[in-house]
Amino acid sequence: MADFGQRDSSTRFAHSSVLADAACAAQLRQEFSVWLKRYFAVDATKASDVVLAVNEALANAAEFAYTAAAEPGAMHLRADYDCAAASLTVTVTDKGAWRITNPATRSRSRGRGIPLMEALADQASFDSTATGTRVSLVWNHIAAAAVPAAN
Amino acid sequence: MESRPDAGSSCTLDERQVEGISVVGVAGVVDMLTAPDLEKAISEASKTSPTAVVVDMTAVEFLASAGMGVLIAAQDELAPSVRFAVVADGPATSRPLKLVGVTDVVDLYPTLDEALNALRS
Repeated sequence: MADFGQRDSSTRFAHSSVLADAACAAQLRQEFSVWLKRYFAVDATKASDVVLAVNEALANAAEFAYTAAAEPGAMHLRADYDCAAASLTVTVTDKGAWRITNPATRSRSRGRGIPLMEALADQASFDSTATGTRVSLVWNHIAAAAVPAAN
Repeated sequence: MESRPDAGSSCTLDERQVEGISVVGVAGVVDMLTAPDLEKAISEASKTSPTAVVVDMTAVEFLASAGMGVLIAAQDELAPSVRFAVVADGPATSRPLKLVGVTDVVDLYPTLDEALNALRS
């Protein structure tokens, strides 16, 4: 079957070309949360950590990626579970340019997204180029659910 | 491009007075969509000249950095003339607040009773 990029399974959650705005980020976070809790044996703390970190990646794309553009562009969320390594890797990509603020001058009420992702994920990496940004978040020791939970 | 107009971020807010302290109750989701509502509610609550403002997040299911920013901004705006405190306890709220150091700036209590007791003293 052709892969249109919107197919979920027990090892993959992939939603591409989602409008990079706050409402779509919230909806995508909710769908990802359902997928995570359905297919993985994660306790409340781990589930909270993963969903919040993914939210921050989506929120940054929605808030910063297309500030210079006339209208919001697209963002892409993909999660892959490696059964052998028991690791979950989530990547959020956009084609915009994040506004990089100087930590010395930014308001202290803002800018907690990246520190949060770094604190919540086992590994967090941020790759920002002129053509877009890619956030990669990895969690280790994630066990698949013995039987997928009912919706 | 997928369009998702019916995003499920719902946040309910209420305010009440307890012995001169304004208590803003928040329930549901505090993310970049709903954080402005929380900001407005705190601003309204501080207009009644309370001795303190408490944001009770006991019923918050999801708290994003956008909401944490509102708490820091409220602290900066209200203190030192009005005391400010947050009530939260759980993996979705107090845990991330502690992880990124919001609790170094804002007083956090696990229950509303504990916050009110501390603010009355």
